[in-house]
Amino acid sequence: MVRDVLPEATEEIAEKTDLYVTYHSDARHLVRLMQCPQCSKPFSTPVTLPCGHSVCRSCLPASKPRANISYPNTPDRLIGVACPLPQCGAEHAAAECNVDVTLTKLMELLKYDISKHRPSAEDSPMLLEEVLRDAIDSPMEEKDLVLVVQPRSRVLHGGRLVSTFAMVELGELRYSSELKYQSLSASGDDYYDLDVAILERLRDVVHKELDCLVCYNMMLDPTTTSCGHTFCRRCLARVMDHSSACPVCRRDLHIPASLQNKGSNTLLNSLLAALCPDLVTARKRAVEAEEQVGNEDMNMPLFVCTLALPTMPTFLHVFEPRYRLMMRRCMEGDRLFGMVMYNKTSAPQGDLGPTQFLEYGTLLEIVNYELLRDGRSFVETRGVGRFRIRAHGMLDGYNVGRIERVEDLSLSEEGSLEQTETTAAQEVAEEFSRDYPDAPLPTPVTLNLHSTQELLDNCMEFIREMRQASAPWLSARIVQVYGEPPEDPATFPYWFASVLPIAEEEKYALLRTTRVRERLKIVYSWISRIRGQRWPSGSSCSIL
Amino acid sequence: MAALPKRIVKETERLSKEPVPGISAVPHDDNLRYFDVTIDGPSQSPYEGGLFRLELFLPDDYPMTPPKVRFLTKIYHPNIDRLGRICLDVLKSNWSPALQIRTILLSIQALLGAPNPDDPLANDVAQAWKEDQSKAIETAKQWTAQHAARPTA
Repeated sequence: MVRDVLPEATEEIAEKTDLYVTYHSDARHLVRLMQCPQCSKPFSTPVTLPCGHSVCRSCLPASKPRANISYPNTPDRLIGVACPLPQCGAEHAAAECNVDVTLTKLMELLKYDISKHRPSAEDSPMLLEEVLRDAIDSPMEEKDLVLVVQPRSRVLHGGRLVSTFAMVELGELRYSSELKYQSLSASGDDYYDLDVAILERLRDVVHKELDCLVCYNMMLDPTTTSCGHTFCRRCLARVMDHSSACPVCRRDLHIPASLQNKGSNTLLNSLLAALCPDLVTARKRAVEAEEQVGNEDMNMPLFVCTLALPTMPTFLHVFEPRYRLMMRRCMEGDRLFGMVMYNKTSAPQGDLGPTQFLEYGTLLEIVNYELLRDGRSFVETRGVGRFRIRAHGMLDGYNVGRIERVEDLSLSEEGSLEQTETTAAQEVAEEFSRDYPDAPLPTPVTLNLHSTQELLDNCMEFIREMRQASAPWLSARIVQVYGEPPEDPATFPYWFASVLPIAEEEKYALLRTTRVRERLKIVYSWISRIRGQRWPSGSSCSIL
Repeated sequence: MAALPKRIVKETERLSKEPVPGISAVPHDDNLRYFDVTIDGPSQSPYEGGLFRLELFLPDDYPMTPPKVRFLTKIYHPNIDRLGRICLDVLKSNWSPALQIRTILLSIQALLGAPNPDDPLANDVAQAWKEDQSKAIETAKQWTAQHAARPTA
């Protein structure tokens, strides 16, 4: 077969032409997608089962009562239907075997279009010969039966697709059988053009009909609810974040938002892949771009909630729909998101102005993600770094931002800083004790006198004291969660801030620091304050 | 800001290409999620002949959450309060992402044709409506003439 491809043909035309060739040469595959695997006839009022496969409603086996099932406790779940498809074999609740509205309508339309292309005159004869597959791969005991079944053949008109479909309508082509085509045209024409014409129509019908009611785009990975309504898989998941009802009929759907164990609609997916592969690819790309946010830099999802600290665990109970979505996307991606505190006083945040959140935050990595049945989740995270927000925007209801990591200065700078600070303080101290021999040194000077290691030792000493005094906020449970105090002066302040019951706004100061010494001094000042005042015994720890 | 979702673009296109009789919704140039809406008072209702202005805003997570709609024109109606807020189930708990701007505005137009004083938002109006319906309807007509008059050409 020779095809004329114009040299200036665009890529799109080339892709389409590939499609036509494929379906001209493998019309059998396409027609099989319109054929019920049970009765081998064209689908009539198909039902899509929970496993994602479809059969005609009339091909569903009779339902049987199911024993020992009480959740969800509705009468229609007490009746089961054995899945007629050998790939599945499970027993589905009768309640979940409803007519697939989209597929039913699509099949009607496809059938109608093919019937319109049926030739009025019998002028395109083609011999179709069935090639039985059962004879090859069916089990022994069935083989004898099959051998009795003779492969059928027929002369039909209208090109490969139309004639194959006609054979299916006649009930003369088994679902599993292949076909051999032989043109009986006097001129040797194999009716390629007839196939192209009908393919163009089918493609049009499929992509127009498979329009998601939620995003108004061509369905991406269509997934059908138990009530028979179909949406993009990601759209259905998002809907389930907000409500457990079907958007179309409002029936309660017993599926978790993750759509775990929920099969996509196999047939609709195959039809899309077969007829509109280019559109599916384009749609996938568009969705990826959408979820990336308009601006490529604004790629960090921001959870506006609480103070989180680097190296320390933060536990979250996620229930707001927008954050359910955010967590799901994080889990699909790199498991990272930014945690920022509310800006309770609406204070201006640097260049950002008075934003809803504070400009410094902590980058969290999801360590454990436990999804509850109703779509809420428990999330265990660990702080992996600090950041400052440089720009922010919204994505599907939650905040996203362009962030800049906040890191400590280099060790050499840290060293020289300690040197200058302590030396200067020593000089001031000497001068001060010369002038006022009896007065105690002012606090800032004492603070600067200590070497970084001394500051840490002091803090550690405080922890030991508190343990001996069994401070209620330093219980074994806290240590179990946050671990023993780290001996690294860089991370010790984060641990200390995690266990210390003081206002989060005070702890927030640690996020802006760029020097280890600076952080330790903040912690040291807290300790001095606690030592200076009687710790009210009533304020037991409420961190967890 | 994230780009405008395709769904909103399509809805806006359809609203202008195939407008609903008696309803118009036009987005602002500088904020494509904010619409100026007008609804004609339905015939054979106390609001007949009136032209009611509303504002409609599509939140960031639309269509997962319903549009926010409010009457700007003063209206005497048991399910619409002084601030123009509307008591309508599909704008609250009965919202579904399969609904759209068009269907919501149709529901509001229908609400004008069928006031429901048993599920009131404006308590005083609902009370008046229950006590003396013909007087309440008369007041609604007066308000319509006074506040919702069409701009004369």
